[in-house]
Amino acid sequence: MSYKRFDLEDIVVSSDAVTAPCWANNAVSLSAAFTSSTQVAASSGNYYYNIYNEDPNSSSTASIQFSVAYGNRSGSNAQAYDAAVSKSYSSTVYGQFRTLLLGDEDTDFTFASSSGAETVTPDSVAFISVERARFKEKLFPGSLTLRLRSGSELLTLTDNSVDTTTDTFVDSGRVYSLYSGSSGVVNNSEVEWGKIFPDVGIIALNHEWLNVSGGYIDLSGSGAHNFTTHNNNDAIFRSIDSGSRSEAFALRSEETVTSNYVFIRCRNAEFNYSNNPSNITGSGELRHSVMIDSPQSYITAVGLYNDNNDLLAVAKLSTPLLKDFTKEALIRVKLDY
Amino acid sequence: MGYLNNGVVTVDAILTKKGREALARGDGSFKITQFALSDDEIDYTLYNPTHPSGSQYYGQAIENMPLLEAFPDETKVMKYKLATLPRGTSKLPLLEAGYASIRLKQGASLAITPQTLNYLGATSTFESGGYTAVIADVRVLSNFTGVGINTEEAENLNTLTTFGTNVSKTVIGTSINLTATSVNTLFGTNTQLQTTIQIIGRDSGARVTIPVTIIKVNT
Repeated sequence: MSYKRFDLEDIVVSSDAVTAPCWANNAVSLSAAFTSSTQVAASSGNYYYNIYNEDPNSSSTASIQFSVAYGNRSGSNAQAYDAAVSKSYSSTVYGQFRTLLLGDEDTDFTFASSSGAETVTPDSVAFISVERARFKEKLFPGSLTLRLRSGSELLTLTDNSVDTTTDTFVDSGRVYSLYSGSSGVVNNSEVEWGKIFPDVGIIALNHEWLNVSGGYIDLSGSGAHNFTTHNNNDAIFRSIDSGSRSEAFALRSEETVTSNYVFIRCRNAEFNYSNNPSNITGSGELRHSVMIDSPQSYITAVGLYNDNNDLLAVAKLSTPLLKDFTKEALIRVKLDY
Repeated sequence: MGYLNNGVVTVDAILTKKGREALARGDGSFKITQFALSDDEIDYTLYNPTHPSGSQYYGQAIENMPLLEAFPDETKVMKYKLATLPRGTSKLPLLEAGYASIRLKQGASLAITPQTLNYLGATSTFESGGYTAVIADVRVLSNFTGVGINTEEAENLNTLTTFGTNVSKTVIGTSINLTATSVNTLFGTNTQLQTTIQIIGRDSGARVTIPVTIIKVNT
């Protein structure tokens, strides 16, 4: 017999949460950020900027890490589609994220201040949308360190998931507040600078508080509100441009990997003979006579079959595993799909 | 006192082409129920029963060899299966299909009735579990069925076909019927199509691979 049927306890399904850095090449933090002049100049640049880990104009390995977009509840601070109507790119962005994240067109993004005693509803919200391939299934709460720059001043933000005893849910899943701090450790929770929606990989920043005079997303500089060059998106990008600083933007992804663990149990009397042509002569006799009473075989591969004898999956060992009548083998095969 | 080796080897498996096809089909055929072991890559001529250092070293040249990664083509892996046979067996089962190679004209049919040699004390026998036959490229045959094993799984295999690409097809039977395709499309500018058929004894694990050539005759 060459096939052996599994017992019930031989196949185990295990789901494990796997976390990893979000950014390309498993970088713990984004050490540099670039925009694409092509994308910026395209019509999509009116809505968002794609942010790359390398300069896409000169590097073939540059890949999108996240996007930034500027949204405005009333459509201000952006070029209107038509002078006769108030809708603009910024109102489209605001409405898009409101529908996606909050699921209610009558609800606006609100942020708490003074330890939650006061809630504000800013007109302007900056959105950071992490590329799907980068955050995989969801963002890992408590892993965020986001630094915003204003000249030499730095504001470091993290989420409060570690301190939160009861998760808050909105239409897009869990939501946590962004406070001053890093890597899940909140230093000051008086001002809610933004929110993170880990299940959809999006960060919303209270743009109005960050855009105070000399603020972290400064739209007051030269060329600000120059709608034709999309400076709102550019201002957001510049504020989180990591430049040469380390740990500028650290974030981890999380995904659930479901694995089948299959236990291959070979009893001492099983699988000791081989049909390998180098092991037998043309008439089927064992090549080495010493193997008649003490047969030996070498396991190099495990095949997993269905009832039809279809080979569904195969696993190779790194080195041959000796099998004879004095040995039993236990091989654990991990099958991910 | 030293630590004991707990002896568990962990390996990662990959899906074969057939496995991905079964997974995509979603009809329950992707259900792992049994396993087999093979010693592909092992060259037993390297086994040295005259090693001057003794029997512990007979297999030295084999045991230290590195192995290649698995291939996803189910017809190219698990070729030489390990078998469970009584101790003292001196002759291993061999599969005799009656053909060293098969050449069929378009539309022609052939029945293969394999036998197993040196199995269960018999010089020649038909295995009660039947034989598994795998055609590497199902497109070259218009009919590929197994007869003689009347289980539900064997019957289902006869009717199961995946269209469109060169996937394998597996059937079970004591006799395997095949008919060469009459369609010219696959030939292109060629006059022949070539593939292989692999026949495996379901009880013994004995295996033979036969090259198959389909000759274009239709114009």
